[in-house]
Order: sequence, then structure tokens, then C-alpha cells
Amino acid sequence: MLTCDTYLMPTRLGEALHAWSEAPAGSRLVAGATDILPYAREGRGGDVHLPTMIDLSRVAELQGYEVRGNRVRLGANVVYQQFLEDPTLVRLLPNMPSCAVWFADDQIRQQATLVGNLVNASPAGDGLPPVLTLNGEIELARLESGQIATRTMPVADFITGPGRTELRDGEIATAVTVDAMEGYGGSFQKVGMRRSLVISAVCCAALVKTDPSGRIFEDVRLALGGIGPRPIRLYDIEDMLRGQEMTRELVARASLLPADRVASRSRVAYRRAVVSGFIEAAIEDALVALGAPKPTPEQREALHA
Amino acid sequence: MPEFDIDFTVNGRPVSRRIDPSLRLLDLLREGLALTGAKEGCGAGECGTCSVFIDGKLVKSCLMPAAKAQGASIETVEGLARPGELTPVQKAFHRTGASQCGYCIPGMVMAATSALRENPDAGLEELKERMGGNICRCTGYTKIIEAVEIARDVVAGKLPQTALDPEGVGASWIGHNTARLDAPSKVSGRLAYAGDMVMPGMLHMQVLRSPHAHARIVRIDTSEAEALPGVACVVTADDVPGEDGFGVFVHDQPVMARGKVRHVGEAVAAVAAESVRIAREALKLIRVEYEELPGLYDPEDALKPGAPVIHDYCPDNVVKHIPVRKGDIEAGFAAADVIIEDEFATQQVEHAYLEPEAGLAYVDHDDVVTVISPSQNITHHRHMLADILARPINKVRFIMSPVGGGFGGKEDMIYQGMLALAALKTHRPIRLIFTREESIACSAKRHPSRTRYRMGLTNDGRITAIEFSLLADGGAYGMSSEGVMRKAAILSCGPYEVDNLKVDTKVVYTNNTPSGAFRTFGGMQAQFATESMMDIAAERLGLDPFEIRRRNMMRAGSLTHTQQKLNSAAIDRVLDAAEASSGWEPGAPTVRGSTRGDLAGPGTRQPCTLGARFATAGADIETVKVAS
Ligand SMILES: Cc1cc2nc3c(=O)[nH]c(=O)nc-3n(C[C@H](O)[C@H](O)[C@H](O)COP(=O)(O)OP(=O)(O)OC[C@H]3O[C@@H](n4cnc5c(N)ncnc54)[C@H](O)[C@@H]3O)c2cc1C
Repeated sequence: MLTCDTYLMPTRLGEALHAWSEAPAGSRLVAGATDILPYAREGRGGDVHLPTMIDLSRVAELQGYEVRGNRVRLGANVVYQQFLEDPTLVRLLPNMPSCAVWFADDQIRQQATLVGNLVNASPAGDGLPPVLTLNGEIELARLESGQIATRTMPVADFITGPGRTELRDGEIATAVTVDAMEGYGGSFQKVGMRRSLVISAVCCAALVKTDPSGRIFEDVRLALGGIGPRPIRLYDIEDMLRGQEMTRELVARASLLPADRVASRSRVAYRRAVVSGFIEAAIEDALVALGAPKPTPEQREALHA
Repeated sequence: MPEFDIDFTVNGRPVSRRIDPSLRLLDLLREGLALTGAKEGCGAGECGTCSVFIDGKLVKSCLMPAAKAQGASIETVEGLARPGELTPVQKAFHRTGASQCGYCIPGMVMAATSALRENPDAGLEELKERMGGNICRCTGYTKIIEAVEIARDVVAGKLPQTALDPEGVGASWIGHNTARLDAPSKVSGRLAYAGDMVMPGMLHMQVLRSPHAHARIVRIDTSEAEALPGVACVVTADDVPGEDGFGVFVHDQPVMARGKVRHVGEAVAAVAAESVRIAREALKLIRVEYEELPGLYDPEDALKPGAPVIHDYCPDNVVKHIPVRKGDIEAGFAAADVIIEDEFATQQVEHAYLEPEAGLAYVDHDDVVTVISPSQNITHHRHMLADILARPINKVRFIMSPVGGGFGGKEDMIYQGMLALAALKTHRPIRLIFTREESIACSAKRHPSRTRYRMGLTNDGRITAIEFSLLADGGAYGMSSEGVMRKAAILSCGPYEVDNLKVDTKVVYTNNTPSGAFRTFGGMQAQFATESMMDIAAERLGLDPFEIRRRNMMRAGSLTHTQQKLNSAAIDRVLDAAEASSGWEPGAPTVRGSTRGDLAGPGTRQPCTLGARFATAGADIETVKVAS
């Protein structure tokens, strides 16, 4: 059971930062509450008492998104369902729709924010790998002598371990800024205990662009989640593929590389086996999103014979 | 108590309240506004029984702080249709029989309504995807999805309005889809389950549970808890006036742990207070001193000499042993051409009914202690409770509330006794609702089992003898174990005529969560072993699996394993129907090779692949060329 003494719903960032800097120790910021509420249950946090809960969902500065040149600034209140339903976001962030469709369900996605997912910093959080492929940077605001000051850092550096981030006392994450990737094919692979409503055991995000001939990898971006304390970008595999002719054989060869990077504490052998399949499938699906034919099971089997 | 002022509209009506901001939207709707159509199935966003619309978007109200409703427009299942009327979705659920226990149904109706509002043209895959956040345990979803498709097509004018009407029955009820009389109350959210009921002056109960699997209770000190303002009473085993003990066969389970705890999650003490929150605070003030005892966690260990004894009355830990003997197995095995031996294990399974255990008890003006609960066995519970409370039977009453899924898991009186004791101690109505975690930790499970199997057969596939020995983990209390073992023994060797058999089923006490009744009541564990053996035998002997079953099946005139003569048997028709509808390719399992034509045919459900919504958006044009 979650209890609190005070529940605040500020509407301006300054107001929120002020309340946050004054809040008694143990208070908490709340976005969608989809991590916080289930945490306060038997077997996890048990009964949790928070002196003050500061709900950010009405803060004007955190709403919506903005396209700035080749970057998209996603306000902290952007929820997962928007990545599935907003045509501009679908076009510019091509691996977010597949990430979103595998994330929880339609109802939770109306509440759950991408930023809440990042700050929660679960090693298996689904939003983390795609944001790494999108070169995401998180924007953090604080009060300095009564004025709002911000700093920005790559999400890859922001998340330091399971449940650990560089968020400092008094700071509120205000936005995530990501690359606009129009023309890329995107995909997301996920496996957990079941299909719907499940936290990933392993997940993998890909973005792929081909040259105008449709035969050469112009750019490839790959990231893995659930394989260690924090998600990782696979720069070496990206380098191996970039500029090369797209062959199924090359993709199959590249997919074998990351298995040794699995550093989880549990189910290591399983995760290793999954990772290779996921890299291959992620690239294939991203190509399929660009219009390539889906390989038949026979083609796949032949490659791995 | 902290306060938060909130204004919002519910089903079109403005509401203004001063609330405790710790409330979730679900609590505010259910407790504050008596809108109990939204249920709490899990409290963690997993099940969808609490789905409501907020500003037109469906959300799970158990995951939403109530304060978030400030200024919003909320629509609950109660607001979908005017009183006395049903929407097309609700009518379609009624029509297809989609509501069984009904507990998931208000949420399901909301999810279906949302799916069709979002896309009135949604296809099957998209409907499944959009409704993926709602769980049902009774229907297997087929009727639910069928209902949504019918509603969609009626609204679109592709089907006539009459497609929503319940099917008429002809001269006979048999062979017709008879409309469920209680369906309208379920699809509209009006049906009240125990956890939906309230009484004036009602107290709330919370239960202190054992963290140990096996421990002696040295002392329980409830004084601090009792002193907490808002607490009405604390009950422990000491409050039991009569003969403490319940169970379906042996009355080996005290209302609350008496002297020792035998499994993790066993009730040790219970608090009755003005609110759930106060009751939970009081639990933290109860001091229990335990002395841990060596425990038993594997049924094989329970049988070893010198094993810890779980119940004093039962020094060998054997709850029940059911032997069945027929014919002469020595002779049977001697006549066999092949003898196959194997071992089979099944695991513990949770029923996971969507309605967690809940009950409401009160003492009426005539001093009748009344317990309302979704008990699957009220008459027996009433008799046991009368003995426990040392009251005449006419002073104890049980009312069965709608069962939001039971599957056998609500046959055990694991909480009704505590409620009755607290009602007697306070003379106030009192309600207890389990959390999902409590329900999983404390209710009975399907018996885990291990079966040793020996089967003799002739080369033409006739069974000559079976030796069958099943050991089940009964957990800490007897519950339905005896009956489960009896059924496992009676059904052991399946619907096959076996002249020579030796069957033993045995269930023992351990310190695991108690095992109890669960659909098939022991049949599943035994049939898993027997049917697996039939397939193994078919492979060994080069016979078609259907054929080997036909050669052994019971017929009219056959003697069952317990030597009852059958007047009729249906297994021949069952096999024919299964063979036809599965599209089975005849032949021994070994002769078919790697490709087979009976897989993935029509009627096979494809695995779920999410993304139906944007799959159609993917262009067919091939712009990318991947060299092979
Ligand atoms: C049934 C269910 C299924 C789920 N499925 C998935 C899944 O498939 N994949 C997945 O990755 N996750 C899943 N989750 C977890 C959860 O929904 C996500 O992590 C979600 O993105 C959290 O966002 P939120 O807005 O609800 O965060 P909240 O619960 O409100 O907050 C999460 C954390 O972030 C902090 N926080 C929030 N906003 C800010 C901010 N602006 N600045 C600083 N700190 C902030 C909060 O203080 C808190 O510590 C699931 C949860 C449930 C209940």
C-alpha cells in the first residue's frame, strides 16, 4: 500500500522545482505512477510511505514534443502510446512504435512515460535500447538561486546501473532529445515470460538505412537491453555492417558477435542464445519495414546449418 | 489524515470531494462513490478488471493516484448504458455466453468498448492486441472475442440487430446456447461480489502472516496493536471458543496458527480496524516470537525415517494412501512382450481466479453469525464453523456470494473463521479482501506429483499389466488431499481396460503451501502419466497412437480399475472426434518423417505477434534487396 501526506500537482516547472527542493526527505516525483504504485506492494517495497508526492503530469513545460532540425525534443510527459499513434513520431522515430507495441498494454501506455522508464533505469526497461540507438540525451532541470538551470547528458551516461542514474537531488528530468530518423527502418525484439504485459528478459532495438540502390547498408544502429546492469549500444557491429553489401550471410555473421557481452547475473546461457537471434531478427525486421522481403524459415536455417 | 480537494465528473455527473490523496482512482470509485463495477483483481496493472475511461482513454484505475482525476471526465462500466439498458457490446457478451464467473467482464466490456471506439473497423488481430491488457481465466477468450466481433459488425450494419439477441431454445435446452440469466448483471457491472459489499459501521480486516515455513510460536503480543486508535480488535487462535480445526476431510487446520506455523503465509493474527490503512499499521505493531523448526520441502523427504513431524496426530506424515488392486500383475507382466518404465512429474499450479478471496461477516440481531463469501462449499463450512465457534448450527449462517472464479481454489475455509471471530468480538460487520499476493501465497494449489510407471504390453499393443505409484505433495494441511488422491487412483490408468493393475496414490504433509482442489481433482496428474505412456508405447511398438488407444479402450461391459461394470462407454467416439478434428495423419509416430501435414492447419491458433495496427501500414513495394 502506498501512502503519502501531501500530493502536489504543480502546473509550471518553476513551481515543481521549488516544491521538489523543499520536499521532505523520502519524497518522490510521480509521472505515470506505473512503476511507483506496483512497487508499493508485498514482495517488493511493501507498504511505502512518501511524505510528499509531486505529480509532474500537469506541468506545462513537460508536455508534448518539438521537432528541431534533425532532432526531436520529447517532453518528459510524453507517454508510450504516443509513439504508436502520433504520425509524426511514428515517422521520425521508426523503432519506437514496435518498442511501444510490446510495452505493457494500450492502457498502461496511456500513463507510462518514456522519461519515467529511463529514470527507473531497470536493466530490462524497454525504452532504453531504442533511445540509445536514437542518440538520446536527457535534459535535467534544477533551481539555482531561484532560477531554472538545466544540464544535458547522453542517456548512455545518465543510466549508471540497475535503478541508478546521474539524477541529482532537486533535479527533474524535463525532456529527452533524440535523432529524427526519417527514412530508416526500425524494429524492436523482446522476449519475456509471456507476450503481453511483461518485462523483457532481453530486448534489442535496431535502425537501418540503405543506400539509394537498396543494396548497401548506409547506416545501422543496434542496442541491447536486459543483458547486464545497463543497456549497451553495439558500435562494433554497426561498423562491421556500415557501407557493406547487405547479404543474409553478413547479417548472420554479425549476429554471432555480441553473445559474449551478456553480463547478467542470471540465465546467462539463455540470454546469449537469444541475443544472436535477436540481432539477426532486428536487422531483418528493420529491412522488412523498409520493404525487403521477409526471409523464409528455410533461408534462415540454411544460414545457420 | 491528509486531504486533497478534487472535482471531476463521473458518468456525466459532477463530483466534488475531499479525499485522502493516498487513494488510487480505483479506491475512490469503489469506496468513495460506490461504483463497484471496476474490480481489483491484482492491484498491479496486470489484469484489467479495474479499467475505466479517463478523458476518453482507457486506463487501469489501480495504477492511478486518485488525484490525477482532478478536472477529468471519468466513465465507468456503470455509465456505458442507461440503467436497464445494455450497449451492443454488452448484449453481444450476453449473446455469446462470454461471461462466466463474470469478475473480469466489466473490465473486458470496457476494453472491448475502447477497442471499437479507437477503431470501429478493427480486425481480429487488432482486437486481440487492444484487449491484451485484460485477463480472463474462465473462457479462454474465444467467446469474448466472438462477442466483440459481433458487436462491431452490428454497429457497422454488417449484421442485423437480431444478431445480438440471445439464441432461442427449441423444444429442448440441450444442444442450444441457452442465455445465462445472470449475464446482464455481469456485463453491466451490477453484480456484487463479496468484496463489493459494504455494511454500515463496517470494519476492515488485515492479516498477519507467517514468514516461516515451520516454526513454534513462542509468544504473540498484540497489546500495542490493540492500543492503536481505530483498531477494534485483534484476533488470534486464543479467541477460538470451540474445537478449532477445519478441512475437507481431516480437520487439521486451525482458524489461525495454533502453537506453530506450518507454511509461509499462514495466518497468525488478524486485526479489525476502521480502515485498511489503520489495520495495516496495526499489523506492524504485533510482536510474534518464533522458534524455527526443521522443515520438509520435498515429499520424498517426508517419508524418510526420522523426518520432522508436521502434525502430531500424523507421525508418518502420510495424509492418505489409496491402494487399488485388480488381477495379478506378476502374471500380467509375465505375459508382456515389452515392459516400459518411466517417471513423470507435475508442478504446483495456482488457480489465479480473478476474484481474490473476500468475505464479509456480521452478527445479526438474533445472534446469528453470518459469513458472506465466495465459498465453494458453504454447507460444510457452516458445520465446521459451528464447532469452531461452539455454537448451535442455527446460530451460524453462510451466504455464498458470486464466485469470481474458483476452479476448486475456494473450497477451503481459510479466512471465514477469522472474520466470524472478529464479528463476534466486536459485534460489528467486518470485511476482508485478500491482495493478489496474499491469494497466491496462502490459498491451496494443485498438488505437485511424481509418478513411477511400469506398463506391460503385447506386441500388438494390448496392455497386460500396469504398476502405478504416485506421490503427491500435500503441503502443510490436508484440505482436499484425500479426495484428490482417491480420484487420481480411480482414474489412474485412464479409460483403458487393464486386467492386472497395482495402483498406489499417496499424499504427504510438507511445509510447502497447502495443496487442495483444482480442476480435474487429481485426474490431470494421473492422466499426464498414463497418456504419455500410451504415446511412448505407440512409438515403441510402431503403432498409431489412436490405434493403440482403441485396442485398449473401455467398452460397454468393461470392468473399471475399481471393478465397476460399465453400461456404456464413450471413449470410442471421443477418439474418433479428436482424430477427425485434429486432422491427424495416421501412422506410428516414427514413420512420419520430418514434414507432417497435420500441423498448423485450419483451426490451429497462430502465435501472437503484436503490431497488427501498423503491419498494414508496411508497404508491399520492394525497395530493398538483400542478397542471399
Ligand atoms: C503491468 C505493467 C507492465 C509493464 N510493462 C513494461 C514493459 O513492457 N516494459 C517496460 O520497460 N516497463 C514496463 N512497466 C514498467 C513501467 O510502466 C515503466 O517503467 C514506465 O515507463 C514508467 O513510467 P511512469 O511515467 O509510469 O513512471 P513513474 O512510476 O511515475 O516513475 C518512475 C520513476 O521515475 C521517476 N520520475 C518520473 N518522472 C520523472 C522526471 N520527470 N524527472 C525525474 N524523475 C522522474 C519517479 O520518481 C520514479 O522513480 C510495466 C509496468 C506495469 C505495472
